[in-house]
Amino acid sequence: MRRLRLLITIAMVILPSLGFEAHAQESSVSSEYLIKAGFIYNFANLVQWPSTAFTQPDSPIVIGILGEDPFGTVLDRVLAGKKVNGRIFLVKRLKSIPDLKECHIVFVSSSEMAHLAEAIHLVKGMPILTIGEIPGFAKRGGIINLFLEDNKVHFEVNVEAAKEADLNISSRLLALARIVQEPATDGKKTE
Amino acid sequence: MSLQNLSIRRKLILITMLTSSIALLLSSASFLIYDLISFRHLLTEDLTTQAEIIGYNSAAAMAFKDEPAATATLSALMVKGDIVAAVLYSPDGNMFAQYFRNDKTLPAILPSRSQEKGYRFEGRYLEVWHDVTLNGERLGTLFLQSDMRQWSTRAKRYAGICFVFVLISGFLAFLVSSKLQKVISGPIVHLEDTMRMVSAHKNYEVRAVKAYADEIGSLIDGFNTMLSDIQNRDTALRGANDELQTRTRELEEEISHRKEAQDELLKAKYVAEEASRAKSTFLANMSHELRTPLNAIIGYSEMLEEEAHDSATVETVQDLQKIKSAGRHLLALINDVLDLSKIEAGKMSLHLETFEVSGMIEEIVTTLQPAIEKNSNTLWVHLAQDVGMMQADITKVRQILFNLLSNACKFTDHGTISVDVDQSTEQGQGWLRFRVTDTGIGISAKQKENLFQEFVQADTSIARKYGGTGLGLAITHRFVQLMKGRIGVESEPGLGSTFTVHIPAQVKLEAVGPIQAEGDSDANFEIKTGRDTILVIDDDVAVRELMSRFLGKLGFNVLTVASGEEGLRLAKQVRPVLITLDVVMPGCDGWSVLTKLKADSELSKIPVIMVTIVDNEPRGLDLGASNYLIKPVDRERLAVLIEKHRLNRFKTVTGTNTAPMSRLSHGQKRREGDAEVSGRESHAKNLTSRR
Repeated sequence: MRRLRLLITIAMVILPSLGFEAHAQESSVSSEYLIKAGFIYNFANLVQWPSTAFTQPDSPIVIGILGEDPFGTVLDRVLAGKKVNGRIFLVKRLKSIPDLKECHIVFVSSSEMAHLAEAIHLVKGMPILTIGEIPGFAKRGGIINLFLEDNKVHFEVNVEAAKEADLNISSRLLALARIVQEPATDGKKTE
Repeated sequence: MSLQNLSIRRKLILITMLTSSIALLLSSASFLIYDLISFRHLLTEDLTTQAEIIGYNSAAAMAFKDEPAATATLSALMVKGDIVAAVLYSPDGNMFAQYFRNDKTLPAILPSRSQEKGYRFEGRYLEVWHDVTLNGERLGTLFLQSDMRQWSTRAKRYAGICFVFVLISGFLAFLVSSKLQKVISGPIVHLEDTMRMVSAHKNYEVRAVKAYADEIGSLIDGFNTMLSDIQNRDTALRGANDELQTRTRELEEEISHRKEAQDELLKAKYVAEEASRAKSTFLANMSHELRTPLNAIIGYSEMLEEEAHDSATVETVQDLQKIKSAGRHLLALINDVLDLSKIEAGKMSLHLETFEVSGMIEEIVTTLQPAIEKNSNTLWVHLAQDVGMMQADITKVRQILFNLLSNACKFTDHGTISVDVDQSTEQGQGWLRFRVTDTGIGISAKQKENLFQEFVQADTSIARKYGGTGLGLAITHRFVQLMKGRIGVESEPGLGSTFTVHIPAQVKLEAVGPIQAEGDSDANFEIKTGRDTILVIDDDVAVRELMSRFLGKLGFNVLTVASGEEGLRLAKQVRPVLITLDVVMPGCDGWSVLTKLKADSELSKIPVIMVTIVDNEPRGLDLGASNYLIKPVDRERLAVLIEKHRLNRFKTVTGTNTAPMSRLSHGQKRREGDAEVSGRESHAKNLTSRR
């Protein structure tokens, strides 16, 4: 119950800025994922893909959701009409792991805990931003992991993994993130 | 001391310093203002840049709603000392994160809502509003507030520098202008010193030295020229002054000389006046002393002669006649001398009256008859038809003709003497011309020169042969002049002389004097004999006796008194028809008696004839006397006068009643008064018309 109320409060603060006033109180789950959808949008803003990642300058940024989709319609609505550097968003629900390669951003649902290593391994070295919501996701080779702390959504970044993927993450994003490394050492939290 | 009265030196320094200071201040101020404005602009740009950086840095935090991160970003502004506040506003305008330099900053001054982007000055703060964007998307607004402390510090420092700079340059300007002002003030001060020296010591030899050929130089030239002019004039003036002093000294000497002379003259004048006064007194005394005995001599000789006609021998009568004639001659001489002295003293006055010329001539001829007959002469009188009345002093006219005729008789033997009288008009004025012609010894041209001078006869030998004082013609001449007439003579020695006298028909008085108001006429009148009383007041026994006898013969009752008081008393008692009055009497004199008589309403109508030795006819007539006779008395004239008064009285009285004077009623008296008043009025009218 307490958690629910907190989420509602957060949603009330954030939603107007994102333009979802009408759907804010759909459910507590969708409120959390509303925030997370916003985060994904922000990440797209603050991460630079190599030019080889796109076939054309206005090719859309393809977001793939691996596993069980926790967003429902939220993500599609959030990203509808939004553009980053002239590119629109395209959300796909992936049927199989190999479909990952066609995406620029991959959201790994917590339901894919078992196939995590396989998926990470598959996209290694490719310019694909992997976002997960599984504890230890970043340490295990994922690039950005979302987690809840003090009733707020936070994220951690595996800078090494980003480098391997040839993704340039803005220092401004890094300034807000918790940096993690694969050899299981905790990065200093910056504020 | 006011600014205008400062010395030239100070004024110059002041002007220089003021000018340079103003220029300096203006340039400093404009530089300062320019610099401060640019600096402010710089500050604005700086703050805007700050805002951009902070906005960029906080964009992600805004995007992720990471307030701690945003606050941390803002806190980086700590190093910027001038930024007192920084606030991030979310797109909906609410505060998202804030930073304050210190807690003292009042949150109240912060805008609670975001505002338009840009910068603005609020009070002493500079504020910048900046949009926070991420990839073109607006995430919020950043607000920065700077207290511009760099700016105010800079302004203060610049002001200080300027102040010091102005002070130093002012001091330098003072030094420079103190030196340079001497170029202008030096010559002026020098000129002033020179001027002061000139005016203090009156030394006009000093000259001012000309330093430069500028305006002050020409001023000094002009001053020097002026000085030399003044010097020249001073020298000339000094010379003139010396001369003047010499002259003044001479004049003073002259004045003192004159003063001495004047003093002497004054003394002499005083002595002369004294002598003159003594002479006049002597003459007056003498005339009185001489006339008094003569009065007796002539009077008594006349009386004796009359009485002797009946009783005494022919020889006695002749002797008495000689005494009488000698006395009369003596009297004539004395009268002449007195007349002349009166004329000399300017005391002779005119008593004008209107009279008939023919009557006067007749009277003279009658009087002169013995003289004419004496040398067996014939007298012709020619009176022109138009000769009627004239207004003049009858006594003097009579005397003029009398003198001329007497002379004619005296110097003519067995000849003809003629008198021609006619009237003419000259310059709108009527003139009467009297011509007396004789066939006597005549007068030579040389004698004519001194003819009308006093004490001069035609020839000294004449005096021996013919006698006389030599005063007759002189007196005649003076009388004619007195009446504004003229006298002339034509003569041929051995053949005869013609004396011509012109007298105005209307002689006018120069000054207002007493006028004898007398409707006199020489008409014949009967002598009425009656027993009317005449009062004679005289202290001289001889006069009283003579008058008594003479008036008694005329048929009057005569009362005589010796004093004025007694006379007044008696006059009231008896009411005489006429009074004769002497002047010089012991006690109450004739003037006061006359005054009292005329002041008394009952006595004032009685005519008074003054009979006296004192020759002051005007006073007598003024006081109210009817006539004025001088002793020795011409008895014929006295008789004529008395008769005239009696006749007047009769005329008045017969108009009403024949009652005696003393019993006249009050009303009748008034009537008599009326008649007299009207007579005076007519005379006054006469006078008026003549003017």
